[in-house]
Amino acid sequence: MVSMIRRRLTGLAVVLFGVTLLSFLLASISPVDPAEAYALRVTQQPTPEQIAAIRVELGLHLPLHQQYFRWVGNLLQGDLGISYLTKKPVLSDIAEKLPVTLQLVGLALVWVALVTVPIGILTALKPGTLFDQAVRWATILGISLPSFWLGFLLLLLFTLILPVFQVVNAGTLGSLILPSLTLAVPAASAFIRLFRATLLSNLNKDYVVYARARGIRQSRIVWVHVVKNSLPPLITLFCQYVGLLVTGSAVVESLFSLPGIGMHLVNASMARDLPTVNGCVLVIALIFVLTRTAAELINARLNPKLTDKEERLYG
Amino acid sequence: MSELLQVESLCIGLKQTGKPIVKQVSFALRKGAALAVVGESGSGKTLTCKAILRLLHDRTFTVSGSIRYRGQELLAASERDMRALRGNRIAMIVQHPMMAFDPTATIGTQITETIMAHRRISKRDAYSSGVRALERMNLPRCEQLMNSYPSELSGGMLQRIVIALAIIHEPDVIIADEPTTALDVRNQSMVLQELKQLKQSGIGLLLVTHDFGVAAGLADEMLVMREGEVIERGTVHDVFAAPREAYTKELLEARILMRKEDRHDRDEGCIQTV
Ligand SMILES: Nc1ncnc2c1ncn2[C@@H]1O[C@H](COP(=O)(O)OP(=O)(O)OP(=O)(O)O)[C@@H](O)[C@H]1O
Ligand SMILES: [Mg+2]
Repeated sequence: MVSMIRRRLTGLAVVLFGVTLLSFLLASISPVDPAEAYALRVTQQPTPEQIAAIRVELGLHLPLHQQYFRWVGNLLQGDLGISYLTKKPVLSDIAEKLPVTLQLVGLALVWVALVTVPIGILTALKPGTLFDQAVRWATILGISLPSFWLGFLLLLLFTLILPVFQVVNAGTLGSLILPSLTLAVPAASAFIRLFRATLLSNLNKDYVVYARARGIRQSRIVWVHVVKNSLPPLITLFCQYVGLLVTGSAVVESLFSLPGIGMHLVNASMARDLPTVNGCVLVIALIFVLTRTAAELINARLNPKLTDKEERLYG
Repeated sequence: MSELLQVESLCIGLKQTGKPIVKQVSFALRKGAALAVVGESGSGKTLTCKAILRLLHDRTFTVSGSIRYRGQELLAASERDMRALRGNRIAMIVQHPMMAFDPTATIGTQITETIMAHRRISKRDAYSSGVRALERMNLPRCEQLMNSYPSELSGGMLQRIVIALAIIHEPDVIIADEPTTALDVRNQSMVLQELKQLKQSGIGLLLVTHDFGVAAGLADEMLVMREGEVIERGTVHDVFAAPREAYTKELLEARILMRKEDRHDRDEGCIQTV
């Protein structure tokens, strides 16, 4: 367990280094000059002198590696710089936007968990029934629906036809229901399919036959043994989805006018707001790494034998 | 009635294609007797064993004929009645002890749940009677064993645990599906010794095996199966002395069996290294 955490921490450092470096490189090869974009927001028609002055002010005249090390140096002191766009510290902007997205994603994952476990179990226990077939088609549909279209449909349905939920008022839990459902439908479809398949393969294992041969109740076999054995892949995917949904929340956030980090990142990219882009990328990478570690820790608890072997393999 | 188990015209087929796998198999098992079922790989021995306990999914298989335990027709019994019999009156020893247990649960959990499946006792009492059951099998450090996971134990140890579980509720019938195939020679003879004692204690033993030596050492009567059919039957002595079928003769000359068993050993090897 300890060696696993140590391994993860090293991994974390490597991933963050790679990701921030990449985002720096990508920003620098982009054809739009951030200084020019900045100047355009300040004055109508900036002169080349003005643009050059801004470039020096923002430190963009320095060679790329110097910019990067300056950024990392500041980062180590907890400073992510000032947003070109909002003129506020990047960190405080993120602190403001991230909770909205996390609530949205959290609620979406609650829906996902609520439908995946019972539907997965019901379909795996009785494969081939009408219900199973219906779920199969529904999940194929759910995976392939574009989320903006699904969100749009929900929006239309619930604002114009059945005005039950507040759509615009941000900040309330009610305002998150439709957007979180929009995020949850494709995710839940993927989860149900994975869980059903894993359950089915576990139900066909010898240990299930032998447990039945010993007279153990079906409910116990399913809930104590089969479900427990089928959880690890689900938990891994679940934790991956935290990061994926945070990244993918931009579409839904813009559709439902939610001031979350996804929209924030998109706006910042369009405005060439480099400190914000780098800050957001860093935070999202951090979320990916942390959730992955969480998945490993949970799976290690569920199946102690797995980790012992892993530890032996990794020395 | 002295017959514990009576199987008549048992047929097992695949539901989807209708292909028959086990055809018209009949036999009877008496108290304190051992019946050996021999036959090459794929002849339907395991399916027959599973059918007796009604462990075959009716999604995949069709089962017809008659299976009576002490006169009770099992093919018509409710799932609830079947659960009460399984592991309690009719117990099973499995072919692959390495794959018989849930890898994520301790041996103790799986023993305790087996005891509690048929007895109304507290978890704590079930646990301590589980430890005693392991001690009866001469397993070492049983307390520690209870806390270990299946992957930490050898095939021989797991098979002894399987046997301990098979006799824990003092069943009338034990179905042993190749109880020695996955074991090394030393463990094989130990398991055979156990089974011999069980038989002497009055249990009816249905013994599936590839190994004529095992059959000769334990069984009174034997069936030879081939492609789902019983092609020869009689007392072990008669079959050995004067096999009527050419196939049985071939088996007896051990050529086919040896080859099959080699293959099995290799299979086991693969399983263990996974
Ligand atoms: N789930 C299944 N679906 C389709 N066919 C199956 C299934 N299970 C078993 N069979 C087929 O039924 C036949 C008999 O299988 P069975 O496991 O009873 O053989 P066996 O005599 O126990 O062989 P072995 O000595 O290898 O254990 C085999 O030919 C096998 O291919
Ligand atoms: Mg078999």
